[in-house]
Amino acid sequence: MKIEADGFSFDFTDALDAFVFDEKDKTKPTYHGLPMKAVDIVAEFADAYVYVEMKDFNDPDLYRNETTETDEEVKARHDNFKWLKNYLKYKYRDSYLCRHAENKVEKPIHYICLLTLDNALNIAMQKALQKELPIGKASKRWRQEIAKSCQVVNIAKWNDNFPKWPLSRMVPAGAA
Amino acid sequence: MLDKIRFDKFTAFEKLEIKFSTGINIFVGENGTGKTHILKAAYAACDIAKSKGGFAEKINNVFYPSGKQIGRLVKRSSVSSKGALEVTRKLEDGKKIFLRLSLSNHTTKPDKATVSGATKQWIETPMEAAYIPVKDMMANAPGFRSLYQEREIHFEEIYVDIIDKAFLPILKGPTDKQRKQLLESLQEAMDGKVVAKNEEFFLRSKLGELEFTLLAEGYRKLGLLWILIQNGTLLNGSVLFWDEPETNLNPRLMKTVVGILIELQRLGVQIFLTTHDYVILKEFDLQSNQNDKILFHSLYRNKESGEIEISFTKQYLSLSPNAIDDTFGNMVDREIEKSMGGLGK
Repeated sequence: MKIEADGFSFDFTDALDAFVFDEKDKTKPTYHGLPMKAVDIVAEFADAYVYVEMKDFNDPDLYRNETTETDEEVKARHDNFKWLKNYLKYKYRDSYLCRHAENKVEKPIHYICLLTLDNALNIAMQKALQKELPIGKASKRWRQEIAKSCQVVNIAKWNDNFPKWPLSRMVPAGAA
Repeated sequence: MLDKIRFDKFTAFEKLEIKFSTGINIFVGENGTGKTHILKAAYAACDIAKSKGGFAEKINNVFYPSGKQIGRLVKRSSVSSKGALEVTRKLEDGKKIFLRLSLSNHTTKPDKATVSGATKQWIETPMEAAYIPVKDMMANAPGFRSLYQEREIHFEEIYVDIIDKAFLPILKGPTDKQRKQLLESLQEAMDGKVVAKNEEFFLRSKLGELEFTLLAEGYRKLGLLWILIQNGTLLNGSVLFWDEPETNLNPRLMKTVVGILIELQRLGVQIFLTTHDYVILKEFDLQSNQNDKILFHSLYRNKESGEIEISFTKQYLSLSPNAIDDTFGNMVDREIEKSMGGLGK
C-alpha cells in the first residue's frame, strides 16, 4: 500500500489499510479538517496500528551554533529540542483522541517518528517522548495504554528495521 | 603544517594515504583500525629536529616494537616484505617537502633503514609539536625523565616527550590576549592554575596547592593543556596530537576542551585527535563555524579484503562509516526489536 507524504514515499506492503491522516484535501474521505494536530500517516496491520510522523530537517542546524556558544544560544538549542519534542508529543496525543472518537484504538499503537538526525540525537528524543507520551500503562488507574511503543529513527534505520515498509525520498518534480 | 601521510605495508596498513586539514583532523574508527599509529607516525616526523637519531630512530622510539627491532613495524606477512612511511609537509612559502622511511621486515636497527627526502631542509625548519597520550603522565613526572635517560624502560618516547614539553619554561614577554582567554577558560574549568615545583606539578586554587597524584585524571589533562598553552608550545604553526581526549574527562568538560581546540586552530595550531566519543564529535559539530577547517576521517576495514581504508568529510553528518553513531544505531535496532517484535519485518 503506497503512501506519499511530506516528500517521502512509503510502501506498507503488509498493511490492511494506510492513509494520510493529516489529509488536507477536502474531497478525500479521509479529510482531517479538525482544530487538532494530526500525525502524517496511520497504517493498520492485523495486530497493531502504526502512526508515522516525519520531520525532515534539510537544515539540521537547528541544533548547531555558528558562533561560540553563549548561554542564550545554549538555551535556544534546548528550546529547539523542547519544541520538537512537544510538537511530536501533541501530534500523537491529538491523533490518539481522534482515533478514539473513531473507535479505532482497539489494537496496540506504535508511534514512529522519522527525523533526519543522527542516531544519538534520535535516542535522546525517543527517551523524552517515551516518558512524556507516555508509553505503556503509565498509571495504576489506566486499564489500557495510549501508546505501546515509540521509536525515533532516521531514514537508514527505518529501512534497516522495516524491510516490509520500504521508504524513499521523493524526487522533486523537475529534478534530474 | 603537515600536508599528508602515506603508508605502504607499515604497521596495520597495507596501503593508505591521508590528506590532512591544516586545521583540525579528527580520526574515528573501531579499535584496531590504526588511529593511534597515524598520530604517532605524523608526530615522529614533526619531532625529528629535536631527536638525535633522525626519522628512523624517532619512529622506533615512538612505536617501541618488541626488542626495538624496527623491522617489526613492517606489516606482518608470511613472506619477506618491505614497508614505507612517507610524511609530507607544507612550508610557510608553500613549498612541499617530504620524509620517507623505507625498511624491510629483516631490518633490525634504525640506522639500517633508509630515510630519503628533504631531511636537511626538514630539520633546518623545525616544527613545534606535542603529543598527549591516552595515559596521563603528569602525576608520574618526578624522576621519570632521568629514569628514561638512564635505564631501558618499556615506555614509548611520547611519554617522556610530553613531560619534557610540560617542563619548558614560559615564553618571554607578556601572554597575548587570545592565549590569556584560553588559559582563563581552562582555569575556570579546573578551578585553578598549574604550578611546577621540583619536577612535581600542583593545581593551585583558593584552597591551596593540590599535587597531581591527588587530582582527578581529567583535571590533569586540562592542566597539561593549560601548561602547553602557557609555555608557548601551542602557538601558530605548531602541531598538537591528542589521543582520545575523552579518557577520564567528564562529558561536561568536553564543551570547554573542544572550544579550546577550535580556538587553538583559529590561532594557527594544526590539531590531530582520535576519539571514540559522541560528545566530542558533536561538540565539534556544534561549536565550529563555516570558516573552521575541520576534517572528520573515518577508518574502517574493507569487508572483503580486511584491509584498513579511510574516508573523510567536512560535514559531521556525512561521516560514513561512523563507528560511534553506529553504536547508537545498534541500540535503535535492539529497541525496535524489543518493543515492536516482527512488525514491518
